[in-house]
Amino acid sequence: MKTSLLASDARTKKRNAAEARFKAYGLSAIVVAMLALAILLTSVLTNGLSSFQQTFISLPIELAEERVDKQGNRDPAEMARTTTIGYAPLLRAAIVAEVERQGLTTELSDKDLGDMISKEAAATVRNRVLANPDLVGETITFDLLAAGRIDGYFKGRVTLETAALDGNTSPEALMVAQALADAGVIETKFNWNFFTAPDASVQRPEAAGLGVAILGSLYMMLVVLFLALPIGVASSIYLEEFAPKNRITDIIEVNISNLAAVPSIVYGILGLAIFINFMEFNQSSPLVGGLVLTLMTLPTIIISTRAALKSVPPSIRDAALGVGASKMQSVFHHVLPLAAPGILTGTIIGLAQALGETAPLLLIGMVAFVREYPAAYTPEAGLFGEASTALPVQVYNWTQRSDPAFVERASGAIITLLVFLLIMNAVAIYLRRRFERRW
Amino acid sequence: MEDLTHVDRAMSTAQDIKISAKGVQVHYGDNHAIKDVNVEIDDKTVTAFIGPSGCGKSTFLRCINRMNDTIDVARVTGDIRIDGEDIYDPKVDPVQLRAKVGMVFQKPNPFPKSIYDNVAYGPKIHGLARNKADLDEIVEKSLRKAALWNEAKDRLASPGTGLSGGQQQRLCIARAIATAPEVLLMDEPCSALDPIATAQVEELIDELRQSFSVVIVTHSMQQAARVSQKTAFFHLGNLVEYDDTDKIFTNPQDPRTESYISGRIG
Repeated sequence: MKTSLLASDARTKKRNAAEARFKAYGLSAIVVAMLALAILLTSVLTNGLSSFQQTFISLPIELAEERVDKQGNRDPAEMARTTTIGYAPLLRAAIVAEVERQGLTTELSDKDLGDMISKEAAATVRNRVLANPDLVGETITFDLLAAGRIDGYFKGRVTLETAALDGNTSPEALMVAQALADAGVIETKFNWNFFTAPDASVQRPEAAGLGVAILGSLYMMLVVLFLALPIGVASSIYLEEFAPKNRITDIIEVNISNLAAVPSIVYGILGLAIFINFMEFNQSSPLVGGLVLTLMTLPTIIISTRAALKSVPPSIRDAALGVGASKMQSVFHHVLPLAAPGILTGTIIGLAQALGETAPLLLIGMVAFVREYPAAYTPEAGLFGEASTALPVQVYNWTQRSDPAFVERASGAIITLLVFLLIMNAVAIYLRRRFERRW
Repeated sequence: MEDLTHVDRAMSTAQDIKISAKGVQVHYGDNHAIKDVNVEIDDKTVTAFIGPSGCGKSTFLRCINRMNDTIDVARVTGDIRIDGEDIYDPKVDPVQLRAKVGMVFQKPNPFPKSIYDNVAYGPKIHGLARNKADLDEIVEKSLRKAALWNEAKDRLASPGTGLSGGQQQRLCIARAIATAPEVLLMDEPCSALDPIATAQVEELIDELRQSFSVVIVTHSMQQAARVSQKTAFFHLGNLVEYDDTDKIFTNPQDPRTESYISGRIG
């Protein structure tokens, strides 16, 4: 029977239908994935973006000598005896005076007005005074943190209705705050504190920041980079280029692949047993965290480095050996430079994975509440030995606290972490493009 | 050692013997790739290895500069001597041997570096140049010998991988002769080239005969006839026939050789 090219036969129709179906499956899978991503990002961004803004109250404070410098000798050591509790009345007086100056009438007591300022603010003022005793006796205008509920009101988290049910604030306080904001006393500004301040206690979410967590993560990444990269690359080069192919190297290879799939919490247990209990490093220290993450990252780096080395065409090795280069010269002069983009990409992806890792850090005690910046080196604690926390652990910590202000902080921390990861991946892509060479 | 080579030379009749192989066997794991090959290759001569695919001609070529050492499963037995010295002696460092026995591969494989660096790499790692001027001279001489100087002299800093296929292969030849080898092994150097580039490389091989002993593996019998003075025919791992090229192509002694060159087996 003669068939026409203009009419498609049954077989072709079936084949085309199958192809169209397959395309539709693929497309719907991508749509679902994009939708999930969009929902995740929207939820994190709507909750977290406000953490990059913070409400400040601008108040002139009279630093009365009889309060802050009882001896009157401007000696910081003597002045340090006045605790933040001693400064609180100054702040309270300042806000009461400000409310009066604005001509506002309110039923709020002086204490209630004072509670509109964050408990952290007294410490801010005290630190300024101790750093510069000449300020005593003068009236200085400070930008002070507003209390968490007031901050929440300007971000839409707290409303007059919720405030009526809230023991920590009241609708009147919010109305006073609104009036002060109209007068320009209360302002919402970019929150540098969020990136520089250490964590704060449960009562003062407005003061909590990621400073210690960012520093701790940075220290750990340095430890991981300086240990995992050389060890990983050296072992990959040995396994790929020098080691004989026999049963032992086969076993090693299988085990490396298995280690890459070991749940990260197992590395935490290992770190707890070896680095803390046996080697007696400080717990919660970035050193131990970095060592644990190094162990976790090594298989990733080894696998990607070996893949990069394998992808270098053998003709390049032949060429080098053919002109009389030794094995090591052929690897270091020719193979390694060609594999470098792949190695760098693998390392950065390994680092990004380590940066986002939480579980093993919980086991080595990095969940601790840390208010002090860890020094990179101290004689007692050694290198990276002081207690610290890390970005993902800070997220974990904050999500456990009940105050809704911490939900905002946690989401803000997630955004920060995601931005760091994006930057690292962008660097990986850039390096790959930059050093990629054709042969 | 010097004296020994002189004795060898005195013994050889028409030409100096550069490479002599006796009872060479190569195993790749269970595969017996080369079966008892005996051959004597003359100095300042082009010797062609011909034969069907998988007959072991490339394998035997790679024995001469010990490139088979890089393959784990390869095992070479027998005796291969260059100028009377056993190259499989435990005292021989393959790295030193490969500086003396240059190799050009089937596919042009320049390093992804500049043309200059490609040629200068060998002399650099072997310390053949005392200073930059020396090195420049070696690079120029090698590129001239490889008939690439006129095309490349203005773009020495541009990448070697940016050249055309034929130019790349001549660059690889320049790279191989830059280390001042005594023997040049070529493993199907023209199989990836077009006819014009092939003609250029063949012309070059003929000139290189002045300075080196050249061993070339080729699939093309016409090429063997054009460039070589001696031809060896390999079949299934055996060296079937080895004689002057003219004789092989006009009056082969072995029926297998005759079948191959007349196109009946291959």
